[in-house]
Amino acid sequence: MAYPTATLDVIGLWVGWFLMLMIYSYPLYKENVAYRAAEHMFIGVTLAITIITNFSNVMRMCITPLTQGNILMIVPLVLGLLMFTMLIPEYRWLSRYPVALLVGAGFGLGIRGTIKPNLQDAIIDTITAPTGGAMIDWFNYLYVAVGLICSIMYFMLTFEHSGPLKAPTRIGRLFIMVGLGAYFGNTVLFRFTMLTGRAQYFLQVLKLIPM
Amino acid sequence: MASGHYWVKSVDSTREAASKMSALSKLADIDRRVFYWILFIALMVPFLNPIGFPITIAPNTQDLYDGITGDQVDEGEVWIINFGYGVSAWSECHPAVTVCTKALFREGAKIIFIGPHYDVELTYNKLQDTCREDFATKEYGVDYVFLGYFTGGESVVAQLASDIASVFPQDHFGTPIGDIPMMDGVEDVHDIDGVLSSDTGDYGGHFMTQWQGPYGTKLAEVGIAMNGSTDLPRWQAGNFFGVSVGSRGGAELELLIGELGEATTAMDSISVSHLLLVLAIIIGNLGTITEKLGGKE
Repeated sequence: MAYPTATLDVIGLWVGWFLMLMIYSYPLYKENVAYRAAEHMFIGVTLAITIITNFSNVMRMCITPLTQGNILMIVPLVLGLLMFTMLIPEYRWLSRYPVALLVGAGFGLGIRGTIKPNLQDAIIDTITAPTGGAMIDWFNYLYVAVGLICSIMYFMLTFEHSGPLKAPTRIGRLFIMVGLGAYFGNTVLFRFTMLTGRAQYFLQVLKLIPM
Repeated sequence: MASGHYWVKSVDSTREAASKMSALSKLADIDRRVFYWILFIALMVPFLNPIGFPITIAPNTQDLYDGITGDQVDEGEVWIINFGYGVSAWSECHPAVTVCTKALFREGAKIIFIGPHYDVELTYNKLQDTCREDFATKEYGVDYVFLGYFTGGESVVAQLASDIASVFPQDHFGTPIGDIPMMDGVEDVHDIDGVLSSDTGDYGGHFMTQWQGPYGTKLAEVGIAMNGSTDLPRWQAGNFFGVSVGSRGGAELELLIGELGEATTAMDSISVSHLLLVLAIIIGNLGTITEKLGGKE
């Protein structure tokens, strides 16, 4: 990608650069007018784009086929409109029908697809011993096995976590903490990568590095 | 006298220890803005002076690359690339998607681009820019098509498996799907040879439960680093034939295809950010432990 030459593109680039600095003025300095202005602009623009995109989608998926004679499209259209009755207290009950339909369809589809990939495949992978003789594979295998069994035991609330259950449930809690720590670490690192992208953009607009 | 001398010495050493402790405990009270400034500046330095940390190829990335190149892809196969990420995650997902698009095009595959993010058009335009040479040799509607935005989560992914035209009666530019030569005979999951889902959310999971599970469709994931701990077990279980994790995965794929790009450039900066984070954790913990030892509430 080369540095843009068209005036509008260059203006767009610099507007983005200034807006980015306005947003970063909050963590780098403190909450201020520039930050709030950029924040409100961001929310407004995002909302506008979302509304336009979804409106176009409804037109494309529903209204256009309806006007072309696909009379069945009236069903999703009516169901969609019923959702807006949430805004009128007297007729709010009507919105329960599309919600019920969505939840029901979601559950049905979810259950149909979940059993094999999410349960069966995952369990088979967990209980299958490594075929190679590498030490690290066996360590991973045992680590996952112990972690899985102990973590499940931690959520077994039918029995008190004492006696023979005391040690495995404590180990299970440790595994859960390690798992949550890894999730949190990954989240932080993802945000850092986004920041890296912004740092790159900062330098690219200033032409200090190639675009 | 002797005991008095001992007492003075003892008081001196206690004061000395307390002053050392207060210096260390100050570490826990460093203004977070200081850290942010250091981070913001330190992230830029590797872009100006690349360090060149070595990059090794992870087996999950190698599997992904192997699955979209060589004997694994025949000419004329139809693949779906799902842009499940917005502009904010370009630095994480886009380099890997760029490499995958290049690899599939070079194997002669046809690609359908779709995306559940409202800014999907921007991502598609960006891809056209980052794969300019490859798109130049391909014809829209014959070798690739951009069906555009879709919404509805897992239900729509399931509907796509049954009837693509019911979700996308037209492409993004308003051309009826029946008028697109490439879509002739491409009606449902059975006409698709593989799916690459790149996500900040879990559309890869939806394709897994609605496509890979019931129909055995080849499926790979180009995910953000945050999703690595979800995606990698799915790769180990064989649901994904390969996984690219974050921009690190992108850098590995750039290395595999032999065209270094955005991810490779960013890797040094990302490594520096990780080192700084580790340093910050050590400093914070040192400060907190010192506070506790000093009895400060």
